[in-house]
Amino acid sequence: MPKRFDQARPFLTLGFVVAAWLVIPTVFKTFTRASFFELTAPVGVAASYARDLQEYWTLRLHSNSELIEAGRDLARLNASYDLAVQQNIEMQGEIARLEGILRLPSYAGYRSEHARVVRRDFSGWWQRLTIRKGKNYNLTVGAPVVFSGGVVGRVSEIFAYTATVDLISSQTVRLAAVVEGDTRPISYQGGLNPTFGSAGGVIEFVPLDIFASANATKRLVTSGLGGVFPPGLTIGSVIKVEPSTDGLFKSGVVKLDDRLAALTEVTVLLPLDTP
Amino acid sequence: MAADENNLADRSGRLFESQKGYDPRVVLFYFIIATLLIVLTSGLAYQQLFNSELHTERESSQNQRRILIPGPRGNIYDRHGQLLVGNRPRFAVVLYLDELRAKFRAEFIRIRKNYRAAEDKDIPTADQLWTLARVSVVQSYLEQINAIIGRDLKVDSVRLNKHFSRELLLPYPLVEDLAPAEYARLLEHLPVVSPLQLYTTNTREYPFGSAASQTLGYVGINEDVEAENFPGEKLRTFKQRGSIGRDGLEFKFDAILQGEAGGSIFRVDPLGYRLRDAKPIESRLPTQGQNLVTSLDIDLQLAAEQAIGDQAGSAVAIDVRTGEVLTLANKPDYDLSKFTPRLSPEDAADIVARGAWTNNAIAGAYPPGSTFKILTSIAALRSGLVEANKPITECAGYIQIGNRTFVCDNGRGHHGEVLLPDAIAKSCDIYYYTAGRLMTPEVLAAEGRRFHLHQRTGIELPHETGRMVIPDPAYKEKEIGERWFPGDTANMSIGQGYVLVTPLEMACFAASVARNEVFTKPTLLHNPDAPTQRTESIGLTLAQRTALIDGMVGCTTYGTASKIMNLLPIPGVTIAGKTGTAQKRVKQGDKVVTINIAWFICFAPADKPEIAMAVAVEGDTGGESLEGGRVAAPIANAVLRKYFEKKNRPADQKLAPFKIE
Repeated sequence: MPKRFDQARPFLTLGFVVAAWLVIPTVFKTFTRASFFELTAPVGVAASYARDLQEYWTLRLHSNSELIEAGRDLARLNASYDLAVQQNIEMQGEIARLEGILRLPSYAGYRSEHARVVRRDFSGWWQRLTIRKGKNYNLTVGAPVVFSGGVVGRVSEIFAYTATVDLISSQTVRLAAVVEGDTRPISYQGGLNPTFGSAGGVIEFVPLDIFASANATKRLVTSGLGGVFPPGLTIGSVIKVEPSTDGLFKSGVVKLDDRLAALTEVTVLLPLDTP
Repeated sequence: MAADENNLADRSGRLFESQKGYDPRVVLFYFIIATLLIVLTSGLAYQQLFNSELHTERESSQNQRRILIPGPRGNIYDRHGQLLVGNRPRFAVVLYLDELRAKFRAEFIRIRKNYRAAEDKDIPTADQLWTLARVSVVQSYLEQINAIIGRDLKVDSVRLNKHFSRELLLPYPLVEDLAPAEYARLLEHLPVVSPLQLYTTNTREYPFGSAASQTLGYVGINEDVEAENFPGEKLRTFKQRGSIGRDGLEFKFDAILQGEAGGSIFRVDPLGYRLRDAKPIESRLPTQGQNLVTSLDIDLQLAAEQAIGDQAGSAVAIDVRTGEVLTLANKPDYDLSKFTPRLSPEDAADIVARGAWTNNAIAGAYPPGSTFKILTSIAALRSGLVEANKPITECAGYIQIGNRTFVCDNGRGHHGEVLLPDAIAKSCDIYYYTAGRLMTPEVLAAEGRRFHLHQRTGIELPHETGRMVIPDPAYKEKEIGERWFPGDTANMSIGQGYVLVTPLEMACFAASVARNEVFTKPTLLHNPDAPTQRTESIGLTLAQRTALIDGMVGCTTYGTASKIMNLLPIPGVTIAGKTGTAQKRVKQGDKVVTINIAWFICFAPADKPEIAMAVAVEGDTGGESLEGGRVAAPIANAVLRKYFEKKNRPADQKLAPFKIE
């Protein structure tokens, strides 16, 4: 009998742990889970800093001539950006004036918070990023995240020094989009994306008079109507639309920016009324 | 102690000692048990082998539920592909109650606990507590919606309970007809996986409002959606409301326009809740119904309706070659957009008060007045009793027939000695009284019947009247119980008396005359490859036909319709027409008054006809003077103008013939 008991001990222990896990309060479980992330986060953050250091030393290997050349190009780029910024300020003033005349509500303003990417998870289960900013920068759940190519996704979880961003390729992200040049909102949602394949999404409730194909793509942008994302940010390219059987709408496929898989820096947009 | 044990061991052999020999009473029990086992096994085998279908069916009906979703109706187009009736999506946010069982229960317990804690003696019954729990849970979801879209909506507990008890598996609509901005906000704010979901239904959309309303018809709510070839007919089924054609083309072609319903079959628990995360056993998407391409030309339709304006009247235009109806306008009408999602009692009362339900183009039977003189002319010419180039009488403004004096209502004077073309152009009544007197009423009636004026045209619309009359002595004897007088023939010869026709019939008659044939079958369906209609020839000689057409052209150039046609000429187009003014006695309140009906029938171009028309405008005041040339002809002029304007457009601005594969 004692020998049998010894053999069964691991199973009994496992059973006991499972039973204990089932009966312990949810608060404890949540705390444990959060603690796990908080405890493991420094490892990811440290790795990310190591990568940054690696990149730094890689850049140090460039010759002075290359650096001077890059500096010159950067100065030119900055000059063109300065011009664009001035134009933007003028256009914003004009938009504000027109909104005032037409008594239109203004879109919400945002504060930008740039963050380095610590880790990228691309799989059939997850399509998300971990970024190197969290509660310490007052990030909020649901905040939109963008990069130079358009929409990245939305913040889904916030930790002390890190945050998780659900990518727009994730099935859990849905937003109100418009086809560029159109004003009717359509539903965009991340698709079923393979681990190593190119990311995509699906659009639904597309008006029947919108056409797109792989040879004649249409740019899909945020509508600004949803109240989360500002308008006009690129989501991707509509590469296919086809009528649904009910004849009311079309549905389609959106190809997302390939750079989503190699992001190193993103910007979290925080509504200005957020503390 | 040990001794006791030994004793027990010794005794054990005796204790389990078997009974030797068989007791017959025990054997009897063997048989009984064996028989019972056989019965049981047989019963089981019977149930398993022969009643398996019945049990499968019972099992299915107990733990499966079927949901049917109607398919959107097909669209209705005009002949050039303009959308006349389509479907407009309606965005709604719905709540799947069948996913909330645990929440309802938790809320039930919470509320009951609160009552008990408060030591309330008037604790509600279990049913009331369940209702409170459901309302509370649903209101909490509605609060989420309110916060997102900035509304202040409350749950309707009666509606919720009704939905819960009858349509548990159908989504419960929390907010219907969301604005695009609200829909967009909900898209971004609602979790993707949630009992709250954005949902689309559809409703009929009418881009042209009231245009051709009575012809297109309207739809009503269909509570009994059916899904052909979808399994589970015997399962308990939840059906979403669909729509069904109630009038006009929507009614007549309901079977074609009706979409194919989709559906799903789900497993449910004994209380009827869908099993958590259960995928449907069967599923089929709804499919849109077939589209319908009508023969109507919306531009002509709008021109006709605009020209009729606030008057009560009908205008019908027909493609002479094919019989396709280009315009079927009738006023007063109703705004079709008020029928979606449903017609309010106030709007319904307004339609009744204005008399707008009836499509008088097909349901209004009127005396045709002088437009009937074309038929009288044809009958007279064919009978050989009248020759086109010989006068038959001299119009002195009146004529004595029997003991009655008939006057010439047209011309305000004496037409004198007129020939047939002039008699048509100037609408000389005396000429036609005489022509009628020369013929028998039977000859005239037979000619009318030859043109099918005594029966329905068979157009693809409901409620076409059967009250049209081409009278003869036998008719009067049978229906009125009186004998036929010569005055009846005189009246009939100018389209009065007992003659009754519809505007559609007169348009078909004009098209038939234009083709020199006796019948035109009207249709509201467009076929770009439709052959020319071919029926029996009228049977006039070339000279007779020339005189007839000359008379009709004369009507628009120097006769009774010349004023408007000369004022607004259509460049390069000669119109052959005939005016008419008929009288009709109607009851207005307590009094019976005589109202006028202004008529105009025509076809154009006169030498190579393409389009034929009939216009009838009904007066609304007793004794009011309505002349066909002044009131009805301008409406025809507006439609013909639009027709030839479209026809003469440069080729690159024309629409290609429309056809749906």
